[in-house]
Amino acid sequence: MRMALKCIVIALFCSTTVFAQNKKLLYDFYEIPQSLMVNPGVKTSQNWHVGIPVLSGISVQGASSGVTVNDLFANDGIDFTTKVQERLLDVMSNKDDFSFTSQIEGFTVGFRGKNRPDDYYSFGVYGEMDVISYWPKDLAILAFEGNGGNNIGRSFDLGDLNVRGEMVNVFYFGVNRKVGADLTLGARAKLYSSIFQFQSIKNSGSFVTAQGANNIYESSINADMQLQTAGVKGFYDILEEDTGTTRKDGKSLFSKRVLLGGNLGLGLDFGFSYQLNPQTTVTGSILDVGFIYNSKDVWSYTLSGSASTDGISVILPDDINSVDNDLWQDLIDEIDEALPHGVNEKAYISWRPVKLYGSIRYDFGEEGSPFSDNCGCAVNQDSGTNRDYYRNSVGGQLFMMKRPKGVQPALTGFYQRRFGKAVSLKATYTIDKYSYTNIGLGTSLQLGPVNFYVLADNLLSYSNVADSHYASLQFGFNIISWNGN
Amino acid sequence: MKRLCYSILLAISFLFFVASCTEEQDFSQFNDLRANPILASGLFYLESDEETINSAGALSSFYSREVNFDAFNEQYVAERLLEGVVTYEIDNSTSKELRIIIEFLNDAGQSLDMEIFTVEANLSETVVREVPYGLGGKSIDILTNTSSLRISANNLGDGTSVSSVEDPKIILRSGAQFVFQLQ
Repeated sequence: MRMALKCIVIALFCSTTVFAQNKKLLYDFYEIPQSLMVNPGVKTSQNWHVGIPVLSGISVQGASSGVTVNDLFANDGIDFTTKVQERLLDVMSNKDDFSFTSQIEGFTVGFRGKNRPDDYYSFGVYGEMDVISYWPKDLAILAFEGNGGNNIGRSFDLGDLNVRGEMVNVFYFGVNRKVGADLTLGARAKLYSSIFQFQSIKNSGSFVTAQGANNIYESSINADMQLQTAGVKGFYDILEEDTGTTRKDGKSLFSKRVLLGGNLGLGLDFGFSYQLNPQTTVTGSILDVGFIYNSKDVWSYTLSGSASTDGISVILPDDINSVDNDLWQDLIDEIDEALPHGVNEKAYISWRPVKLYGSIRYDFGEEGSPFSDNCGCAVNQDSGTNRDYYRNSVGGQLFMMKRPKGVQPALTGFYQRRFGKAVSLKATYTIDKYSYTNIGLGTSLQLGPVNFYVLADNLLSYSNVADSHYASLQFGFNIISWNGN
Repeated sequence: MKRLCYSILLAISFLFFVASCTEEQDFSQFNDLRANPILASGLFYLESDEETINSAGALSSFYSREVNFDAFNEQYVAERLLEGVVTYEIDNSTSKELRIIIEFLNDAGQSLDMEIFTVEANLSETVVREVPYGLGGKSIDILTNTSSLRISANNLGDGTSVSSVEDPKIILRSGAQFVFQLQ
C-alpha cells in the first residue's frame, strides 16, 4: 500500500505544478480530528484521538492559475516552442503563479482534560513544504525574445521575479475550550524548525534598451534585488562534494534540522465556533501567525544599483591622449562597479504565510441520535442544541491567504450529509483564481475506533489531471475514542 | 475487522480512480524548445570635432587605436551566436572628406575583416550601413574570433578649413542585433 500511495503522490506531484493551501473540505469537518488543524476552535466531540504515525494526515495540493501541464506537454503534435509562445508567454501575467504545498503529520494526539472536560488538548508534529513562484513574465520574455527586435524601447520589470519556498517541521500544542453553551474557542502554539527557506520577494528595477542619446542603442538597468536563503547551502554543499557519504550526510543534516537543529520560529493559531441558534453556526480561524528567525546557514545574494551603457565611447579631443586599449574591459568593470552585487550571511526573518478561514453553517434534517452520544463529555450533553443531531449541513466558507503579491481569497459553498454514525460526506464548490469549476468531495469513515478520511478537490478535472489548474488530495487514519474506551 | 478492510480497500480504490486519468504527456518535448532571443547593444562610438582633425594636419590620421573587444568571443556567447546585423551610422558636418576604417582582429592580431567608410564633407544625411553576419551575410566566425578592433580615422582633406555649420563633427555610431541560441 505504501508503494501505491507513493505512486499516487508522485502522480499528483507530476501532474500539477501549482498548489494552494486551502483545505476547504477539511475545514469544519469535525468528524475528522485533523479539522482542529484548520480551526483550533472547532467543536470537538471525541474523548481522545491518536493519529496513526505518518498516516494520520497527508495532504498534497497543487495549482496553476495559468498554464497547465497538459497545455505544454500533451502529445498533440504541436511544436513545443509554439506552445510555449502562445500558451505561456502570450497569455500568462506576472500575477499568475505556480505553487505547491504538501503536509505530512508525524504524529498527532488529542485528549479531553480529566478535570476540565470542556478542554480538549492536542499536540503533535507535522512537516510542511510550501513553494510559490509567480510567473516572471518580463524576465521570461527577455530570455525568450531578447531586448532587440520589437522589444527595443520596452522596459523589462525586474520585480517580476518573485519566489518563496520553505520546508519546515512544526511542533504544536493546542487547547480547545468550550467556554459556554454556544461558544468554543481554540488556540495553538507552534514551534517551527526550519529545514530550509528561500525567498526573493522584494525585487524592483528595470532593464531597457532604447535608441541612445549618442550611440544607436543604449541599455540601462536599475536594480534592487535580493535572494535570501537559509539552510539551502548546507544541502548544496553536501551534493556538491559528491562523496560516497552524500546520502548519509544529507539524511543526517535533514534529521538535525527536523529536530530543532536549524533555524527556529514561533507561531500561533486561533479559532472559534459560535452557535448563533441551534441550527446556525459561524466559525473562524487564523493560522500561522508567526515567523522564523533565519540566522544559521544563511546565504543571500544581492544586486543593487544602476548603470547604463552604449558601448565603447571615444570622444575627441578628450580621449586623444588616452593610451588605454582595454576599453571593453573598462566598460565591463564600470558596469560591475555601478551594480554592486555580492553575497552576505546576514540573519533575516521570514514570515509564515498567514491563513484565514471563516464559515457559516446551517444544519437541518433533525433525525436520529447524536453522532457522539456516548462521548461522556460536557460538550455534547446539552442535547437539542448540538449540531450533531442534524444529518445535513449547508453553508459557505471564506479562505484568505497572505501571499507575496497580496491576499489570495477563495469562496466555498458546501453540503454535508451524515449517514448514521459511521459515514459522513462533504461536497464543496469553490471559486478562486485557479478554477471556477472546483468541485470537491470528502468522506470520513468511522469503523469502530478507526477513522479513515479522504478528501479530494477539483474532481471534474480528474478526467485529465494533467489539464487541471488545481488538484489536492488529503487522507489519513486515526484512532478515535468517543466514549473513553 | 472485515468491514474495516473492505472500507479501506474501497477508499484506496477511490484514490486510484481519481488519480488514474490523464492524457498522454510527453515531457521530452522540452528538448525541442527553441529560445533564440534577439540581443541588441551599442558597440562603438567615435566623435571628433573639426579642430582636432585640423590639428592633425592635411591628409593624415587624426585617430588610430587598437582596443580590445571581447563582446562576441566569450566562449558562452561565441557558441550561441547564430546570425545578426551590425549597423553603422555616420554623420559628418565637417568641411573635409574623411575615411574611417574598422578592422576586426583576432587574438594574434591578424585582420579578419574590415569596414571602410569614405565620407563626403558636409554630409546632409546620415550614412547608414548594415552588415549582416551569418546566413546570407559575412561569416559569423569573423565576430566570434574577434578580440580587438583597430579603428583609424583619416583626414582626406586640408588641415585648415572650418565648416560653416555650428559645432562641426564627425560621428560614427555602431550597434548590433544578434540572434542568440539560448536553448
